[in-house]
Amino acid sequence: MILLDALQAVMTVDALFAIFVGTVSGIIIGGMPGLTATMAVALLIPITFSFTPLIGLSIMGGVYAGAMYGGSIPAILLSTPGTPAAAATAIEGYPLTQQGKGGLALKVSVVASFVGGTFSVFVLLAIAPILADFALKFGPAEYFLLALMGLTGVVSVATGGLAKGIISGLIGLIIALIGTDPMTGMTRYDFGMVELYEGVSFMPALIGMFSITQMLALTSEKSISNSDVDLKSIKRDKMPKGIWPFIAFGTGVGTVVGIIPGEGATIAAFLSYNVAKAKSKLKHLFGKGNPEGIAAAEAGNNACVGGSLVPLLTLGVPGNTVSAALMGGLMIQGLIPGPELFTKHAVITYGFILSLFIANIVFLVIGLFFAPYFAKIAKIPTSILVAAISVFAIIGSYSINNSMFDVWLMLLFAFSGFFLDKLGFSLSAIILGMILGPIAENGFTQAMTISAGDSSIFFASTIAKILWAITIILLIQPLFTHYKDRRQRAKAMRAE
Amino acid sequence: MKKVLSTLALCAAMTIGASAGYPSKTIKLIVPSKAGGSTDTTARLFIDTAKKYWKGADFIVVNKPGAGGLIGFAYEQRQKPDGYTFGLMFTPQFVAHIVSKKAKYTLDDFNIIGNIAQDPGIVVVNASSEVKTLDDLVKLAKAKKITAAVNGIGSDDFLAAKQFEAQTGVSFNLLPTKGSTEQKTAILGNHVEVAFMNLSQMLANHKAGKVRIIAILDKKRADVAPDIPTSVEQKYNVLMTATRGMLVRKEVKKEIADKISDLYMKVVKDPGFQEKAKKSFIFLDPRPGAEYKSYLEGLQADTQKVFDKTPW
Repeated sequence: MILLDALQAVMTVDALFAIFVGTVSGIIIGGMPGLTATMAVALLIPITFSFTPLIGLSIMGGVYAGAMYGGSIPAILLSTPGTPAAAATAIEGYPLTQQGKGGLALKVSVVASFVGGTFSVFVLLAIAPILADFALKFGPAEYFLLALMGLTGVVSVATGGLAKGIISGLIGLIIALIGTDPMTGMTRYDFGMVELYEGVSFMPALIGMFSITQMLALTSEKSISNSDVDLKSIKRDKMPKGIWPFIAFGTGVGTVVGIIPGEGATIAAFLSYNVAKAKSKLKHLFGKGNPEGIAAAEAGNNACVGGSLVPLLTLGVPGNTVSAALMGGLMIQGLIPGPELFTKHAVITYGFILSLFIANIVFLVIGLFFAPYFAKIAKIPTSILVAAISVFAIIGSYSINNSMFDVWLMLLFAFSGFFLDKLGFSLSAIILGMILGPIAENGFTQAMTISAGDSSIFFASTIAKILWAITIILLIQPLFTHYKDRRQRAKAMRAE
Repeated sequence: MKKVLSTLALCAAMTIGASAGYPSKTIKLIVPSKAGGSTDTTARLFIDTAKKYWKGADFIVVNKPGAGGLIGFAYEQRQKPDGYTFGLMFTPQFVAHIVSKKAKYTLDDFNIIGNIAQDPGIVVVNASSEVKTLDDLVKLAKAKKITAAVNGIGSDDFLAAKQFEAQTGVSFNLLPTKGSTEQKTAILGNHVEVAFMNLSQMLANHKAGKVRIIAILDKKRADVAPDIPTSVEQKYNVLMTATRGMLVRKEVKKEIADKISDLYMKVVKDPGFQEKAKKSFIFLDPRPGAEYKSYLEGLQADTQKVFDKTPW
């Protein structure tokens, strides 16, 4: 009955308009590197105070869902992830754009985002309180193991051979060491610069290594894609066969990772990508433009939206920075996260959840409609494109922390990234090391503090055991392939 | 020397010119933390109300997060002292950075406009814990090594835990976390025995019966949660509160600074501001400039004592 009341509340012109405006602004914000959904929600908090709670929350929810999808558009077209969570999408999406299949990549991305987003909201609607208990079982030891599991992805994302892939991952981990030691409060490798006290900020590094390196490479081309891109053929492009299992993997991984409080979406995308590669029959295509990778990564990061709201609404524990800002939006309306949300304020809470379904539909329709037009970016002459994107990259790097230091950092990463890439090192593996390093370190040192130095804490819980098992499975497979390749090559050499 | 003097004269001339028609351009409010946090919300609500009193004035929030507020505080000190930049600050980090010699500023570099809000420290355990009072906590900590989650080294939580250790002779297994979300999960999921946090962070969970706040580290009980006893009532003289105040540079001309102080007083007394703050779990604690400044000086001296004993 409550659901019907909630549905009625959402199906008003005001509410639908609010969702539409929120989602569209979300897509734009997500598509601009440097603008974040967190920032947008924070800006909205004092404004939404004058709206009814449901309208205010619908706008914010729309922004959240829209931004998560929006990040993938520039990632695919320009190798410029609008959000960190879209980094994995860029690995497969940009090569597709170069091949003139940007429209297809965008289509796969929006459909996967929709499925992931919708399923996770459904989970939120159906069984949030049960899942909240699961979220709490994740202690520091489990966080460490989750990061370790993510680090196996270094093997998957590395394209220039195993040794260089592992070195790249280690470079990422070393960069992640810069900043304040979480245990002692001492600063490491800060060279006396206050800006490095909290470590190397992530978004400038990502923009530098993913976006600017590609723009530098583009200077020798006429446009991103040399093949003909015409609207009609893109519109006719069908979803690739056998893509659905990968969307399903991504959705599953994303929903689970999203529920665990922490910076979920980026990890979820990389983990889903990793699982997809392990499962794929077209492994050799990964890194060269495999839609399966996009499907898994995008389903993965969008599935975090619903997932991250589970601990927020039931326990008042925000899953990431966006939901932390969203919590401010809830509280100012007098809605205190906790059991009361589902009883006393049930109509608003369920209305908010239903509005997320609609937000997903809004970006699906917009994404499908505009994909062919967006894809034409690939034909813009590089003389215009490179200049325009570089300006965006600089503004984006600056605006994350309003810091000029970050702009220099971005350029440093861009130029060193360009040479590392030329030498066959994997920039994706560096990024992965940078994302997961701090999580692994924090989890490890915290777990060891809690257990007073007893390492059995990493094997104690059931979740820990499962995480170990998955990590080993994810490692065996690529290592085995690597070993087999080498033997075959050795054999071929001997035959010669 | 001549150059310095003439620059000073020029600055003075500019500020005199400005004070008559002040404010005539956009005012920046610097928030030394991320968008979406509690300090950020305080700033945005403040601006919302300030516009009511300074009709036509334009404000923008500039977030300068990082290094426990240090990046933002240092930035505030570097601004032009023309009265078009206000800064927010929070304690005890604002003075802790001075004590630990990380900061290049001192208290005397600023004209303290006043305190806006405070968030008292708390000691919190899981609802299923046998610990019900601070006495229970001391007893448990003496019987076995227990883990206490604090939000980073040098934070208010950390200082409170250190105070508690110094007074009771117990020694915790201190677990520094990155942010209050980790502390929340650690307490709710029973990963640690106790946490030192702030009232606003756990009030909702306390009211929902998921956790138990065993003490507020303050002299008087909180209006929003009168059931929670204070540390002083329990005979422990451990006091900690995070305050959030506003400042401008010392060099800002007196007439302009007075106008800003006047605006500050009007905003914190505004019923609309008070209502929104209450809903956002921002506990208003208006303390005008001089009073707040002497509080800060006292806090700096206290923090120095802790730092001398156990530097971080």
